[in-house]
Amino acid sequence: MDFSYQVSENIDHIIASLPLIKVELALAFGFLLTIAATLFLDKTWKQSSFYISIITCLGAFVILLSQYNLQSSGFYQMLILDKMSFFARSFILVSLLIACIYFQQYFKDKIFNKRKGDIYSILLAAGIGLHILTMTSNWLMAFIAIEMVSISSYVLVGYFSENKKQAEAAMKYALFGSACAAVMLYGLSLVYGFTGDLDFSSQQHIQGLIDAPKVMVSIAFLFVFTGIGFKLSFVPFHLWAPDVYEGSPTPVTAFLSTIPKIAAIVLFGRIASAWISTQFYFSDLTFLFIAVVAMVTMLIGNLIALRQQDVKRMMAYSSIGHTGFLLMAIIGYSNGHQDILLFYILAYTLMNLAIFAFISILEKQEGSTLLSSYTGLGKTYPILFTCFSFIGIALVGLPPTAGFVGKLLVFSSIFELYQSSEDPIFLALLIIGALTSVISLFYYFKIPLYAFLKNSASSEETPVASEEIPASLRGGTTKQSSLSSPSYPPSSPPPPFNILYLIGILLTILVLLLGIFPSLALNIFSINS
Amino acid sequence: MITLTHFLVVSACLFCIGLYAVLAKRNAIMILVGIEFIINAAILNLVAFGRYDKINYGGQVFALFAIVLAAAAVAVGLAIILNVYRKYKSINPDNITDLRD
Repeated sequence: MDFSYQVSENIDHIIASLPLIKVELALAFGFLLTIAATLFLDKTWKQSSFYISIITCLGAFVILLSQYNLQSSGFYQMLILDKMSFFARSFILVSLLIACIYFQQYFKDKIFNKRKGDIYSILLAAGIGLHILTMTSNWLMAFIAIEMVSISSYVLVGYFSENKKQAEAAMKYALFGSACAAVMLYGLSLVYGFTGDLDFSSQQHIQGLIDAPKVMVSIAFLFVFTGIGFKLSFVPFHLWAPDVYEGSPTPVTAFLSTIPKIAAIVLFGRIASAWISTQFYFSDLTFLFIAVVAMVTMLIGNLIALRQQDVKRMMAYSSIGHTGFLLMAIIGYSNGHQDILLFYILAYTLMNLAIFAFISILEKQEGSTLLSSYTGLGKTYPILFTCFSFIGIALVGLPPTAGFVGKLLVFSSIFELYQSSEDPIFLALLIIGALTSVISLFYYFKIPLYAFLKNSASSEETPVASEEIPASLRGGTTKQSSLSSPSYPPSSPPPPFNILYLIGILLTILVLLLGIFPSLALNIFSINS
Repeated sequence: MITLTHFLVVSACLFCIGLYAVLAKRNAIMILVGIEFIINAAILNLVAFGRYDKINYGGQVFALFAIVLAAAAVAVGLAIILNVYRKYKSINPDNITDLRD
């Protein structure tokens, strides 16, 4: 009797919690629809799953807007809905939408023996995992979400395997990722042993960590941070990032470098703010870990980026450097600056998506992602390279761009902490942050340097190269490209107006707009209700 | 009498063997086997600790989910390794180094 009473109570609680995940249910529904569409409609209508995934993202976004003022938790505190998760999920949905368009534009001219529609269902599945990652403070949910995102990402990288490089990138990614997830699981089992509770912000969990022996806590934390570090690609778990970013198709790189980071940084922010708040050993350890890793990540990411010749590889190291900055923003976040973290995430997402739109266009036109292949192209694509240079300026963190405002806000929050505590570690963070921003100037400015200034020496070669490469590409695939994109001349001096171009320019305008009027976004983010 | 310590020692040994297999990286399949060792060490830990968590059974549930997720990850990993074998005719990670600085 007692047991049956409890069961119905549990079912009531679960049914009452269901409306909290309606966005994720919409995504799951879209996921099933895309699979069905790929199976049954692929022969008659190739783009069906693409349009379904676009509609799913838009629909989920509309549903998400209705949760704007919702502050609650459900499923026995396994899911938390607050402002942080609302904004993070809206960023994720919009970026997913843009990533879908990148995929469609990139793959529309290529013909594979596999169905192309399946990539959209994988993207949506990754979206569900990312949403859960931003909403939870429970280790079980976090681990499931991380694995969901990881497995989807392995499939995305390795799905087409057009050449040797893509196969190699997929193997490195899958092996490194699975190893990190396994080590994280072992760390989680130790943490569970200390605390007997899986909710990392609960009182019982914190008390268990306070009572646990210091050596064991240190080992367990190192293991747990391995898994999160893999998703965020901070040093020393960044080794996969350059190889995978270079080897995978450009839209996959755009996805990997942006969207999983939004979710992982929100989860890490939740962990950090729950664990740094006490005066005990494990709080000091967590803080020291984040601070040291932030410094080393900024230094290594930006220094190695200096000597890269491939844009995608350079962007990999640049995104590692930005991860260091995001970790700095997390230190600010754990002291109550959620608007700064959100603004930096937004700026970073916009900048990275924009730069990969340009890289994708240029890869299609020139057939290469090497920096030297951009030589003298500034005259051929003036608008594109102007926008490209603006985004470069934003990534360095110079005014008048959103990147500047983001970095300024992070610096000021850390400086505030330094003034109140006089801890030299904050000063070190500030110095290294400023120093690496200066270093990053040198490699981002290679793009306008090659495009606009280096045309005298090789102006004879470039027209040949830019004509020859697309021509040779088309040589093998003349039939399919003439079928799918008739408006795509071999070397088109005025690039064809396409949707990638439009998205890139729009994102650049947004980055500039947010740089000039940062209060547009900050006012929305800073509402603490 | 088998106590909690025995379980922890066995799982620590499993973890070390797995970590060695991953770091030695002679063969991609061996790395996957090593990963499986680490996951099973963690599962053993979770179940052993779960005995003391009689209210929520968090450890047991976590172990179940971990088994499922490990199977999924290994399936994807094997498919990717098969793909690499088709392209390179080798699955030794030391021979597959087209991407490097």
